[in-house]
Amino acid sequence: MARITIDPVTRIEGHLRVDVEVEGGIVNKAWASCTMWRGLETILRGRDAREGWVFAQRFCGVCTTVHAVASVRAVEDALSLEIPTNAQYIRNLILIGHALHDHIVHFYHLSALDFVDILQIPKADPAKAASIAEGSSSWTGNSRQELAAVQSKVKGLIASGQLGIFSHGYWGHPAMKLSPEVNLILFSHYLQALDFQRKSCQVVAILGGKTPHIQNLAVGGVMNAINLNSLATMNMDRLGMLKSILEDLIPFVQQVFLADTCLLAAYYPEYLHLGRGVANYLAVPDLPLDAKATKFDLPGGVIMGGDLSRVRPIVNWQDAEFRKAVTEDSTHAWYQGGGPLQPYKGEQTPDYTDFKEEAKYTWVKAPRYNGSPMQAGPLANVLVGYASGHALTRRWTDTAFQRIAAVNGLKVTPNDLQSTMGRYLARSIRSAMLSDLALKHLELLTTNILDGDDTTYNAPNFPSGEIMGMGMHEAPRGALSHWVVIDKGVFTNYQAVVPTTWNASPRDEKGVPGPYETSLIGSPVVDAEKPLEVLRTVHSFDPCMACSCHTLDTSGKEIAEVKVQ
Amino acid sequence: MSPLCVIGLGNVFLGDDGFGPLAIETFRCEYEYPASVEVLDLGTPGLDLAPYLYDKKIVIVVDAVHSDASPGTLSIFHEEDFLSLKAKLRITGHDPGLWDSLAHLRLAGHAPEELIIVGVNPITCEFGEQVSFLIQDTASRAAEMIATSLAGHGIPCPPRDSPTEPDLWWFRMGCLERATAM
Repeated sequence: MARITIDPVTRIEGHLRVDVEVEGGIVNKAWASCTMWRGLETILRGRDAREGWVFAQRFCGVCTTVHAVASVRAVEDALSLEIPTNAQYIRNLILIGHALHDHIVHFYHLSALDFVDILQIPKADPAKAASIAEGSSSWTGNSRQELAAVQSKVKGLIASGQLGIFSHGYWGHPAMKLSPEVNLILFSHYLQALDFQRKSCQVVAILGGKTPHIQNLAVGGVMNAINLNSLATMNMDRLGMLKSILEDLIPFVQQVFLADTCLLAAYYPEYLHLGRGVANYLAVPDLPLDAKATKFDLPGGVIMGGDLSRVRPIVNWQDAEFRKAVTEDSTHAWYQGGGPLQPYKGEQTPDYTDFKEEAKYTWVKAPRYNGSPMQAGPLANVLVGYASGHALTRRWTDTAFQRIAAVNGLKVTPNDLQSTMGRYLARSIRSAMLSDLALKHLELLTTNILDGDDTTYNAPNFPSGEIMGMGMHEAPRGALSHWVVIDKGVFTNYQAVVPTTWNASPRDEKGVPGPYETSLIGSPVVDAEKPLEVLRTVHSFDPCMACSCHTLDTSGKEIAEVKVQ
Repeated sequence: MSPLCVIGLGNVFLGDDGFGPLAIETFRCEYEYPASVEVLDLGTPGLDLAPYLYDKKIVIVVDAVHSDASPGTLSIFHEEDFLSLKAKLRITGHDPGLWDSLAHLRLAGHAPEELIIVGVNPITCEFGEQVSFLIQDTASRAAEMIATSLAGHGIPCPPRDSPTEPDLWWFRMGCLERATAM
C-alpha cells in the first residue's frame, strides 16, 4: 500500500493538500485538506452592512464579484428590500461575464494540461489537425496555418530546453491519450483563450466600472446611472459595445470550448465512469427576471443519491427548506466546537492541531444539507436543469452528446455526467447556456430602458432591532450563500458557505467524507510518483481555496511536491 | 485599452502584502500622468492577471518581493532578475500568478514589451494587520520610482502641485484596528 501526499495541488487558486492511500493501483482512502485559515468573516463583524460587499469582494482575488453580489443580496434579504428590474439585469450580466471568464480560464489554463501532452505536439500534422478541428466546429481559428504557427512555437519552446511553467507537466504519462493532432488543437485553443478571457473581463468592466473589483454595487441596486442622452452614463453606445463584445466571445464558447470538452470526453471515455463521488447535488436559482426575483433563468434544486428522476426544486431565494437544511460541522476542521451549526450561529475560533486524519485535518468546515454532503458546481447546475426539464439546459446538453457521438460514435447519457468528465462537460454546457442568456439579459435591459425605466436603486432603511438575511448566488464553482445578522445597520455575524467548502468538505461528525474525498475512491494510480489521475479528478471540481479557507500562508515557500510513503 | 499600465498586486488584508495597492494609490495622488497610463489595484488575481498585461507596451508591477535584501528595502527589478532567481515574488494564496500569465502571453504573442517590478521586502504579512509603518514610509518613494521609470520611457509624470489624499478604503473603513495599536 502506498500513501501519496500532494501538497500543494498545483494549478488551482489557493493551497490544497490531498492525501490518498493506494492499494493495488487503486485509491481506497482520501483526505482533502485546506492549509490556509480564513478570517474575513471576523473582519466583517462590526462593519456597516451597506459596505460589507466591498470587503466581501476581497474574500478571493478571483471570485470578487461573486461575493460582492451574494453580500448585497443577503442584506437586501434581511431588509426585504426589492431592487429595480434594471439592477437585476445589470447584476446578471456582470455575473455572466465573470462566470464565462472563470470557466474559460479553468478549462484551458488550469486543467487542460492534465489531458494534453505538450511534448506530442511536434509530431502532429497541422493539415490533419485542421481537418479534425473543422469537423468538430465551425470556428474560423482552426486553419492549418494557425495550427502550424502554434506548433512551431511549441517546437521552439521545447528546443530551447526552457519549458518554464510547463516543465512540471506529466508529459509522456501512460494515462495521456490524445493524438498529436488533438494535442495541437487543444493547445492552440489554450493560447487563443487568452483573448476571450480578456473579452469576458471587458463585459464586467463596462458594467461594473472596474475589474476585478467592481464599483457599481449598492445595497438596494446598482449605481449605474442610466441616461440615453448622456455620454457619461449607461447609454445606447455602451449597450452596443456590450453586444459587440458578446458577439465576439460567444462563438468561442459555443463552438470551441464546448467542442473541446466533447473531444476530451470522446478520447477519455473512462473518465465518464470515474470520479462520481457524492451523488447529492445542490444548485440555487439565479439570474432573476423581475424586481421581486420570483422567476429565474437558472433553476435551482436538490438531487439526492444520483436519482435524476427526482428533483426537489428550490424555486426562489426565500426557500424555507434551504434556510433550515444548511449547517456547517467543525468536527474535523481546525476550529473549536464540533457538531453542526446553522450559518446564522456559525463560529470560527481557530484550533490548529496539525494534520491528524482521525481528528482535525483542514481549515475547511463540513457543510451539510439535511445532514448530507452535497456536490456543488456546474455539474449540479446542469443536472438539476436537465432533470427538471429546463429547455435551455436540455438543448445544450443534448448538443454536447451529439458532438461527442460525432467524434467517435461514443454514446453519452445524462447519467454518465455524474463523473470526472461530466464535471468538465457541464462547465462548457453551462457556459454555452450562459452565452445565450447574456444576449437575452442584454436585450431585456435594453428594452426596459427604452420603455422609459431608468431606476437602478432603492435606498435601504435599517431598523433598530436585529434582522437576519441570506443571499444566494449560483457562482462559477456552484452554490454560494452569505448569511448575515445585522443590528442597527451593523453586522453582528457573517458567514459565507462557499462552493469549494461544499466540495472540499472534510468528514463530518458521523465520519462521512466530502465530495473531493469520495470522488477519489476507486481512481486508478498507474505511477505513484506522478498521480495524474488524482489531479484530473481534483481539478474537475475547479478548486478555489482562497475563500473556502482564506489566505494566511505568508511563508513564501515555493513547493510543488508529491510525497510517496 | 491603454498601452501602459501600473499595477498594484497584493492582499490589502495581509499586512505588508498590501504594499502594492498602497503604492499605486500614492502614485495616483502624488503624480500627474497622461490618460494612456492605467493605474490599477488588482488585488491577488492569479491567472486573471493576463487580461491586464495583454498587448501592453510597458507594465510596472508593484508588489511585495522576496530577495536577499533586508525588510523594508525598495528595489526595481526587471523580468530577467526573476528568471535568474535574483528575486522572487511573494507566493500568495493565489498562485499561479504573474509568471504563468506572462508565459502564456509570451507564447500567444501578446506579452508586454517591457515589464518592470517595483518591489519591497515585507516585514510582516499577518492577516488583519495594516501595512507596517516602515513599509508605509516607502510608498512615496515607490511612487517616485514609478514616475521616474515612466519618465525614462518618454512619459513625463511630474509631481502634482497639490497632491490629493489617497482613497485607502481599507484603512479608512477601520478594518485594521490592531495595527493602530502597534
